Amino acid sequence: MIEFTSLPPLSLYIHFPWCIHKCPYCDFNSHEFNNHFPEQNYINALIQDLEYQLPSIWGRRIISLFIGGGTPSLLSSRALDDLLSAIRSRLTCLPNMEITLEANPGTVDQSKFSEFRAIGINRLSIGIQSFNDLHLKKLGRIHSGREAISAVEIAHKSGFDNLNLDLMFGLPEQSQQQGLNDLTNAIDLEPTHISWYQLTIEPNTFFYKQPPALPDDDDIWVLQQQGQLLLQARDFMQYEISAYAKKNNQCQHNLNYWQFGDYLALGAGAHGKISRSDTNSISRYWQLRQPEAYIAASPAEKISGQNLLETNDIIFEFMLNALRLKQGFNLQTFETHTGLSADMLTDAGRQAIEKGLLEQSGNHFKPTELGYRFLNDLVNLFN
Amino acid sequence: MQNIRNFSIIAHIDHGKSTLADRFIQICGGLTEREMESQVLDSMDIERERGITIKAQSVSLQYKARDGRVYQLNMIDTPGHVDFSYEVSRSLEACEGALLIVDASQGVEAQSVANCYTALDLGLEVVPVLNKIDLPAAEPARVIKEIEDIIGIEAKDACLVSAKSGIGVEDLLEQLVTRIPAPEGDADAPLQALIIDSWFDAYVGVIILVRIKQGRIRKSNKMLVMSTGRGYHVDNVGVFTPKRTETSELSAGQVGYIIAGMKEIDSARVGDTITLVDRPTDKALPGFKEVQPRVFAGMFPVETDDYDNFREALSKLRLNDASLQFEPETSSALGFGFRIGFLGMLHMEIVQERLEREYDLDLITTAPTVVYEVETTRGEVLQIHNPADLPEVNLIEEIREPIIQANILLPQDYVGNVISLCIEKRGVQLNMQYMGTQVALTYEMPLSEVVLDFFDRLKSVSRGYASFDYELKRFQAANLVKVDILINNEKVDALAVIIHADQSQRRGREIAEKMRELIPRQMFDIAIQAAIGRNIIARSTVKALRKNVTAKCYGGDVSRKRKLLDKQKKGKKRMKQFGKVEIPQDAFLAVLKVDNS
Repeated sequence: MIEFTSLPPLSLYIHFPWCIHKCPYCDFNSHEFNNHFPEQNYINALIQDLEYQLPSIWGRRIISLFIGGGTPSLLSSRALDDLLSAIRSRLTCLPNMEITLEANPGTVDQSKFSEFRAIGINRLSIGIQSFNDLHLKKLGRIHSGREAISAVEIAHKSGFDNLNLDLMFGLPEQSQQQGLNDLTNAIDLEPTHISWYQLTIEPNTFFYKQPPALPDDDDIWVLQQQGQLLLQARDFMQYEISAYAKKNNQCQHNLNYWQFGDYLALGAGAHGKISRSDTNSISRYWQLRQPEAYIAASPAEKISGQNLLETNDIIFEFMLNALRLKQGFNLQTFETHTGLSADMLTDAGRQAIEKGLLEQSGNHFKPTELGYRFLNDLVNLFN
Repeated sequence: MQNIRNFSIIAHIDHGKSTLADRFIQICGGLTEREMESQVLDSMDIERERGITIKAQSVSLQYKARDGRVYQLNMIDTPGHVDFSYEVSRSLEACEGALLIVDASQGVEAQSVANCYTALDLGLEVVPVLNKIDLPAAEPARVIKEIEDIIGIEAKDACLVSAKSGIGVEDLLEQLVTRIPAPEGDADAPLQALIIDSWFDAYVGVIILVRIKQGRIRKSNKMLVMSTGRGYHVDNVGVFTPKRTETSELSAGQVGYIIAGMKEIDSARVGDTITLVDRPTDKALPGFKEVQPRVFAGMFPVETDDYDNFREALSKLRLNDASLQFEPETSSALGFGFRIGFLGMLHMEIVQERLEREYDLDLITTAPTVVYEVETTRGEVLQIHNPADLPEVNLIEEIREPIIQANILLPQDYVGNVISLCIEKRGVQLNMQYMGTQVALTYEMPLSEVVLDFFDRLKSVSRGYASFDYELKRFQAANLVKVDILINNEKVDALAVIIHADQSQRRGREIAEKMRELIPRQMFDIAIQAAIGRNIIARSTVKALRKNVTAKCYGGDVSRKRKLLDKQKKGKKRMKQFGKVEIPQDAFLAVLKVDNS
């Protein structure tokens, strides 16, 4: 059923699993550490992991690299340099490919950022979340609003011209005006990209166990609409549910996820997806979550689980991602990225169109305004 | 026959009937320790969970008494709920005596009173027993007085026991053999066997539990069921010890089973008489009647594909439940399903639960309704089982509703609350009697009001202390109207209810409001209206949801997003699509959930 005539683009994701403090809303694989984390051992483990996985992507080129966490900006520039060198010497990379590092404003100094830039990191994603000290405190952040501003200024000074700010809205006790103020502050700092997303309470978080009082849904909706107007007026174009970018500054790495591209995963708790044309299959796999266990395990044991996607899963997961993009997808991308025939979309697609959730022009499908607001309902038609 | 004792246990739920029964079985060695699963008699899961008995069962025990003689004790378990009062009366008919078990701290409850009166009417020797005597809250003196005041039997030498710890249980067995008389009946007379219960066994067919009133029956006899006139070849007779144990014959005074190759329990209905073809008795035992369902509800599979499974499941349940009636029903809102008749609300809940649990069906149940009698202008009399079938107003001469007599027993502190509730439920007081600290209230009220939420309300206004029993009296003309519910201006047939005209405005408003709470916000505004004929009496709106989007979805781990979406999808599966609107199962019972306290 699955047949690949070509393979989708391939990205590389590296996870750094430590934070100074675990935020109560965070459901990523992050662990607090005391005094220090085993930097060198971790870098060695990542390289070992990469070498073990090389055969599964033999001959393929990497189009982007994202180092996320956790708080990867805790790494020293030397360690990062070692890691990047190891990657470059083992993989073919797209010339000038996007290399993003996530940074916490509380872990920044000028010399470190300059070094990051010098070793080849060309995009920073700074987790601001809010500029309001009261809200930052409620979110369990380790930095102040002033430090957040300063971190962005340092990033600019250090030569980062491709810069994302992560910002949340719908925070506990946040008024609409405060939400808009946060957004205005972020825009005024002149990043090239803003991820503006609503706080959601995820299972397995502290907030899930002790939910904070959140603003009313209708109020959050008004805030979202006003914020989107503000972003648009300042040339930040929405291209995904929560992602807004200046022209030509969309995040290549995330775009690849949303277009159902492949990604190799290194690091504790990292998830990867690899398509293979020799077996005509798509598999997902995930690494051991505990950093110590990940470091200690032999390369083969680092991967804690994997599964081959069934046809149904593939269609559903493609939609789960691709319909998040404002532009939607075309049938050719569907076929090349899933290895499936576009005919398989006909029934659910027609249903979605009848319900006014999806629109088609020629080979191109995109969510309608209604479908974009009720994306979960739209995607579930393919489930 | 002199050494046989046939008895029942009368007790309110939780007063310890099953525990005491287990204790008897243990003392008489009916089961080894290993076989002794707690509460042997309540063998269905639902029975054990709810602490009630649905099917009557029996057990024959050998008890060596202090006088040195060995007695055969036949304990006949009775269903413990008002919905099954006819079955109770047949079980009691099979006995010469009954143990009245009363919780020594909680005192007498209406259910026990009703069953106890039935037992006394049938001439049984009633032996009062106070259970849970070892609890600190036990007040034997007060409860003994209550038994004497309320039931009117001598209770000063009531047995004091704790079934749980075993205190007094052997003394109770002694009392039992001395106080309860031995059965009478001529073993050489023509056979008269009373059917106490029957159930379907996948291996042997129908098993009939009988009390032999006179005569005898053995393997290879040809027997005759008197109400149907049909004959059967007897395969096997015996007793439950509680294991099924074959014996050479059953004779006058005994309780046991007959297996005769029957395929349907309809062939052996509770209360019927069995005799022998060769030498029949000239008259059947008195008291046999056909049980009529009093409450009807529509049940529809959520997945239309499940219709055949649903029908099959109902047929299987029917094998063991002669009171269950069903016929196909088609609803424009809910598609194909069945209209099912039940003895009462508990019976309905049990059936629904078994269908969902044992047969893995997702069902939508519509609000239960009683049977109305409608006399049309053309002089026909119709039995209306479904509000949707009510004729147009101009064709109705008169609607008659079933009226019950309710017997309520409660501590006097709550009399005011309970009377207000009865008045709200259109009750008419027949009697009020103070007995010690308890009050007995007798009301006539429409069964439809009881079906709605009377049980729950009674429990809440009396903090759980009031108990309740009822019997059907008659049909009586009433000013009733049909209230329709419209969703986005379309009538939903499955939501229609029949309500007294005086209450229709208020209830219409309450239902529309409750529906608003029960229908989740969706992509569009949803208008809910209640109407009588063309007249809209209430409206409410479910405001459209703004969005349903997962805010964050970064690469890596899609499994959690999947879980969320799968959960949403599953939630939708339990809803019924009506036009653009998805209606959850709950909403079809909105009329029951109106909280007017």
